[in-house]
Amino acid sequence: MPITCKKAAGVLVALGLALLILGPGTGWGETLEVTQPNQYLYPDPDFAGTPMGAVPAGSRVQVIRQAGDWYKVNYQGMEGWLNRQAFPTPQAGSKFSLPGLLFGAPVKETTSDEVALAGKGFTPEVESGYRQKHPELNFAQVDRVETFKVNPAKLDAFIREGGLNP
Amino acid sequence: MRSRIHWLALLAAALFLVNGCAGAAVLSAVPIAATGITKATQASRPINDSEEYYVGRAVAARILGKYPLDQNPKLTAYVNEVGQTVARKSSRAQTFRGYHFAVLDTPEINAFACPGGTIFITKGLVRTCATEDQLAAVLAHEVAHVAHKDGVNSISKARWTQVWTAMGAEAARQYGGVAGNLITLFEGSIDDVFKTIVVNGYSRTTEEAADQEAVATLTKAGYDPGALSQVLDKMMAKEKGASGGIFKTHPPTSERLARVKTEASGAPPSKDEAGRTRRFKSITG
Repeated sequence: MPITCKKAAGVLVALGLALLILGPGTGWGETLEVTQPNQYLYPDPDFAGTPMGAVPAGSRVQVIRQAGDWYKVNYQGMEGWLNRQAFPTPQAGSKFSLPGLLFGAPVKETTSDEVALAGKGFTPEVESGYRQKHPELNFAQVDRVETFKVNPAKLDAFIREGGLNP
Repeated sequence: MRSRIHWLALLAAALFLVNGCAGAAVLSAVPIAATGITKATQASRPINDSEEYYVGRAVAARILGKYPLDQNPKLTAYVNEVGQTVARKSSRAQTFRGYHFAVLDTPEINAFACPGGTIFITKGLVRTCATEDQLAAVLAHEVAHVAHKDGVNSISKARWTQVWTAMGAEAARQYGGVAGNLITLFEGSIDDVFKTIVVNGYSRTTEEAADQEAVATLTKAGYDPGALSQVLDKMMAKEKGASGGIFKTHPPTSERLARVKTEASGAPPSKDEAGRTRRFKSITG
């Protein structure tokens, strides 16, 4: 009996640590709100595919799993992939250093910059460094160009009016 | 001993609960950071969509250092409507931050597709077009370059391998900040792309593939697929005595024209082209 109890406790320790290592974030079955406009559901985690349909800002989707920057979600009974850009950036306070928690060292927060750097070569931080080296470049105008968008309803009307294919 | 194990179990469970009980979590800083180290030691992977986007922004910034933006909001809005109409029918309907179209205020005849989806067309080229369908043909060709990732593919393989090496070194340093080395490599990558799309142009096969996709996109969108050969015809007429610019980066050769005409020949006729031409003329004067 004491052995069974010890085994059960061991399992609990292992389970607790495993869950701890997996850490915080978006979980299976968790519902997330799409906060960004112009988001589309894709059949595969790749922008190159043909979108299955639009997911308007404010929609709620159920997360099935994650692969890199992509989330497999269920949206109104349809399963597909949404890029992480659809969701808000995780709070910096939810990040922690595993060695710090396990071994008592001071908890080192991992900044979003550092996480991005770990997974990606060219990041906003790299762009920032490049901009400092090249103050003559006009990134303000690039930001302006990125505001050039077409309202979906207006685009539909434009297509209809021109006798084009929706 | 048993009580210590119980205590450890409770501590682990408590830490997990404090941290946010979200079922089997799939995203956290630690696994991502660890993945970063692992990935950096693996073989190089292709550039991803967000990296492509940042390369595209920097290339766009360089182009906007050379040419000012046109200040006519009606023309800009119209070019975006035509551009979005073809982009949604391309093989890559959506990019990381979407497609954006802008007019450059220069009489030069040219168009540029920055990686990630920012597309520039010069006022000179807009004026060269006589119809909306011809404008759509130019934009469909540029969208095809984005869809095929031709811009980022011009970053040399050797440089991208160095990016990976630099990332590995950074990850191993516990993320101590952005390395100057990565910024230098980014700078070199921007040079690679800028030289290709603005100075030297793509290879003939890359241009052919973009033409082929443009014809298919125009057909799917309902535009006249023959409009691409019409623009090429006009460009060939203007080419006499001209050099550089689009005549170097997108050479309108007679072989290219013949091929595009053949590709468009089987497509169904487009409806209401006259109506579209009217709205084109009402905007472009």
